[in-house]
Amino acid sequence: MATSGFDPQQSLDSVDDEQLPVPPHKQHGAKHFLGLYAAEHVAATEFVIGATFVGLGAGIWDILIGLVIGNTLAILSFTLITAPIAVGTRLSLFAYLERIAGNVMAKLYNGANVVIFAAISAAMITVSATAVRVLFDVPPQVAPYPTDMAFVIIAFAVGAIVVLVAAFGFNALSEFASICAPWLMVMFTAGGMVLIPALSESVTGFTTLTSFSDFVAIASASVFTGINADGEPGIGLWEVIGFAWAANTFAHFGLIDMALLRYARKKRYALATSTGMMFGHYVAWISAGLMGAATAATMKLSILVVDPGDVAFYALGMSGFVIVIVAGWTTANSNLYRAGLAAQALMPEVKRWKVTMLVGLGVMGASCFPFVYRSMLPLLTYAGLILVPVGGIAFAEYQLFPRLGMTRYWANFKGLADNRPAIASWGISLIFGFGLNVLDVMPFYYLFLPTWFVSILVYVVLARRAGACEAYPEKEKAQQEFNERVVEHHRRKAAEKYREGVEDKTLLSKGIKVMWGIVGLGVPAVLAWRVMFESPDLYQYYVNRELFYDITIWCTVIYFVFAYWGLQRSKQFKRREPEGTPSQASTG
Amino acid sequence: MMTSFRVKTACALVMGGGAVFAQHGVAAELTIATVDNRDMLRMRELSEDFVAEHSDIQLNWVTLDESTLRQQVTTDIATSGGRFDIVTIGTYEAPIWAERGWLVPIADMPGDYQPEDLLPTVRQALSYQDVLYAAPFYAESAFTMYRTDLFEDAGLSMPRAPSWDFLAQAAEKLSDSDEHYGICLRGKPGWGENMALLTAMANAFGGRWFDEEWQPQLEGGGWRDALDLYLTLLGEYGPPNPEDNGYNENLALFQQGKCGIWVDATVAASAVTDPEASEVADRVGFALAPDNGLDKRSNWLWAWALAIPSSSEQSEAAKRFVAWATSRGYQELVAEREGWSQVPPGTRAPLYDNPSYREAAPYSELVLESLRSANPDDPTVQAVPYRGVQYVAIPAFQGIGTAVGNRFAKALAGDISAEEAIEDAQWVTEKVTEQARFAQQ
Repeated sequence: MATSGFDPQQSLDSVDDEQLPVPPHKQHGAKHFLGLYAAEHVAATEFVIGATFVGLGAGIWDILIGLVIGNTLAILSFTLITAPIAVGTRLSLFAYLERIAGNVMAKLYNGANVVIFAAISAAMITVSATAVRVLFDVPPQVAPYPTDMAFVIIAFAVGAIVVLVAAFGFNALSEFASICAPWLMVMFTAGGMVLIPALSESVTGFTTLTSFSDFVAIASASVFTGINADGEPGIGLWEVIGFAWAANTFAHFGLIDMALLRYARKKRYALATSTGMMFGHYVAWISAGLMGAATAATMKLSILVVDPGDVAFYALGMSGFVIVIVAGWTTANSNLYRAGLAAQALMPEVKRWKVTMLVGLGVMGASCFPFVYRSMLPLLTYAGLILVPVGGIAFAEYQLFPRLGMTRYWANFKGLADNRPAIASWGISLIFGFGLNVLDVMPFYYLFLPTWFVSILVYVVLARRAGACEAYPEKEKAQQEFNERVVEHHRRKAAEKYREGVEDKTLLSKGIKVMWGIVGLGVPAVLAWRVMFESPDLYQYYVNRELFYDITIWCTVIYFVFAYWGLQRSKQFKRREPEGTPSQASTG
Repeated sequence: MMTSFRVKTACALVMGGGAVFAQHGVAAELTIATVDNRDMLRMRELSEDFVAEHSDIQLNWVTLDESTLRQQVTTDIATSGGRFDIVTIGTYEAPIWAERGWLVPIADMPGDYQPEDLLPTVRQALSYQDVLYAAPFYAESAFTMYRTDLFEDAGLSMPRAPSWDFLAQAAEKLSDSDEHYGICLRGKPGWGENMALLTAMANAFGGRWFDEEWQPQLEGGGWRDALDLYLTLLGEYGPPNPEDNGYNENLALFQQGKCGIWVDATVAASAVTDPEASEVADRVGFALAPDNGLDKRSNWLWAWALAIPSSSEQSEAAKRFVAWATSRGYQELVAEREGWSQVPPGTRAPLYDNPSYREAAPYSELVLESLRSANPDDPTVQAVPYRGVQYVAIPAFQGIGTAVGNRFAKALAGDISAEEAIEDAQWVTEKVTEQARFAQQ
């Protein structure tokens, strides 16, 4: 994360591991990424984005088909754009940028990250606060701004906890967040299943669904109607595809996820992002839309102003508070932590916790305004637009330069403190992208595509003029030697630090897994199934739902106790594993 | 009469609403969301007259079924979308939405709106903190309809104000035939179906949904007595499978001559006395809804009304249309075009003094009395914290009412006992209100 510049002569013992390529013994197989991406993309943002699609007036078939296409494009983007660079360099984008573009570019990039991740963090604190406010008898906040001082106090209180944890106890929370994924997946699915009969009853007068076509009919009549909040025809297939694809552009086209995929043994493991895209950005989004619509019908409110706390409470009972607080909190923390790191890179002389607290104050202020979280989808899309040109520059440097007879790392080889073509390319691309947005020539969620191409084109042209076509044999040789030193350094560290782990086959560990797997996850899933398919009338629905509420909260407790216990035991047995993959900012 | 109405509306244009035209210098465009029932569709047709007389106002109609209308209007109003300038709502929504600040008060109405004509109970049902928030378009109560010929044959005489005991005795006598059933009542589950009647019955028997602390009271004696009688009446003297019969099914049965007695909405009166639709049109008598000697009858109160969302930017022009559509002049316009029997009933007292209307609707006096006595602020024998006669005006009630209706329908079908149905009703009311209270505070 530091931006002190790359020097191939420097001593490796003084270099932060984050600045070096990931060594072979820290790399992971596909299974790791299947779990990692499922966890990353089932977050509190899903509650918001699901409702946003409803408000934008997407039709049911546009949602069902468009999300598949858009998310498939996202998976392909991870696989074909992000993973080859990540696996080829084994570096995070921060480290790679420092090598190819120098300090100023890296600082600008970090500055953009501070703003973006702080905004996401603020939105997620607000989401958590919507659940906490119910516990303190504070009315729903339906306006874009806070309408009750008590809500401001709650948002500040939740924000203060988030800030303190991000500043002082992030590792522990990160560990806790890692066990949340399976539970979040089950709860998101269960929440939709639990509220579908209520939604059906409000539309048809019947609680039962007999076929998929029933589901489509109800969803199209009450949730994904094709009519937006202004009563106009809503977004169509192309827009849904664009939103789904653009929701994570900063991660794939913008190459942020190099931080994760640099640990992949093979490039094709990026296909494992499908767990996040096809569950978190498909099942969870649709489920969140259904939950929001059913809650709105029950509360006699609009889905656009029903807050996530109410939605989760109606869907999941007390477990709903847990899901909103946990999902919001963990997402807010990881993003604030990341914003803090980026801010520290701008102010390396200030301790990280102090910088995180400083950024956190701004985040706490923003978290009082519900419009921030309700603008989540545009926020993610515009964040992508800002960061995508940086990905384009890195893509050009890594993929195109060798093919065009240009030299990778040319700016560093040439001894330039700053890669001005890169900075200019980013600036020009932003003017181009946001200029298109102002001129309104195309939907804003597709702006990242031309902007990405422009950044590549401009960078190639400017870099050629600035010296990227020249050869730097001595520098290349020095870098080659550096790389060889890195390999030897890693070999030595691996031999010193890591020993063979012992595979945990104890009965107790198996029992722990059974407990959290069957009792913690299986029982709520079965109960949700009963609510959806064995509720012939509204009374029986309430009976089944109440049973689901009452038992699921205990299953939740059991899940977290046993999953955390299992995690701690697993850590004891898996000494061979190093500190693991650093937590990535989770944005849904 | 019509000339007078047109002159008055023209004056209103010049004096009141003309200000809108003068201010903006362009025509006001009103978007009206309405439910697709017969009376509202007729209003849409007749609105050509309004447009002809108000050249500065253009009307756009959005006609939807009740469920879709509620959803779209709620979304628009809750988000201050401003899509609709006038919306059709019922007495159930009016106070809830008014409390949320979503509606413009129906005050300072232009022209000859004459708010003093409105029936006090109807006005009260559409008010919040004594301020009217929706202008009633038509209203209904409930009363007793019966076959005069069958009563005569059985040697029975229907009192003007019968008791449930009397109806039970009469139903028993009338049921002694293969030609017809002693009594027809709503059995189909739903907050607006069997629970409208059963709530009204419970009111007469001293029951209530909640006590003043909002604790559910379904296990109280009033509900048990009402349910027991209801199950006896339909189980022993009613049609087969009564749990399948709602308002429409019972109307069809009565029109076919299958029901000796029917306690239901006053709006059914014109349908059962319509010679083209009813086989017994000339043999129908009317009485007040029955009571149980506790000073509350089993009549209810419902109205469809026109409201103006706070988000409307054309509220002054909207008031002019609302005033026109809910005025005495509009009633006269309908009478001129369709006949007095087709006039939207239940909203204005002078209609019931009109000899032409009384002649066309001989049951009108009983309807008026039923409407006047159904007080949404005093619906029960014991005090309650809620408003509404056959419903409770809280957002959670639709779900509660239908779920309780499910259990009472099960009891009617013989699947569970009355005691079990009562216990289940108490349980589900407690649970759903507890959750709603927790979420919405």
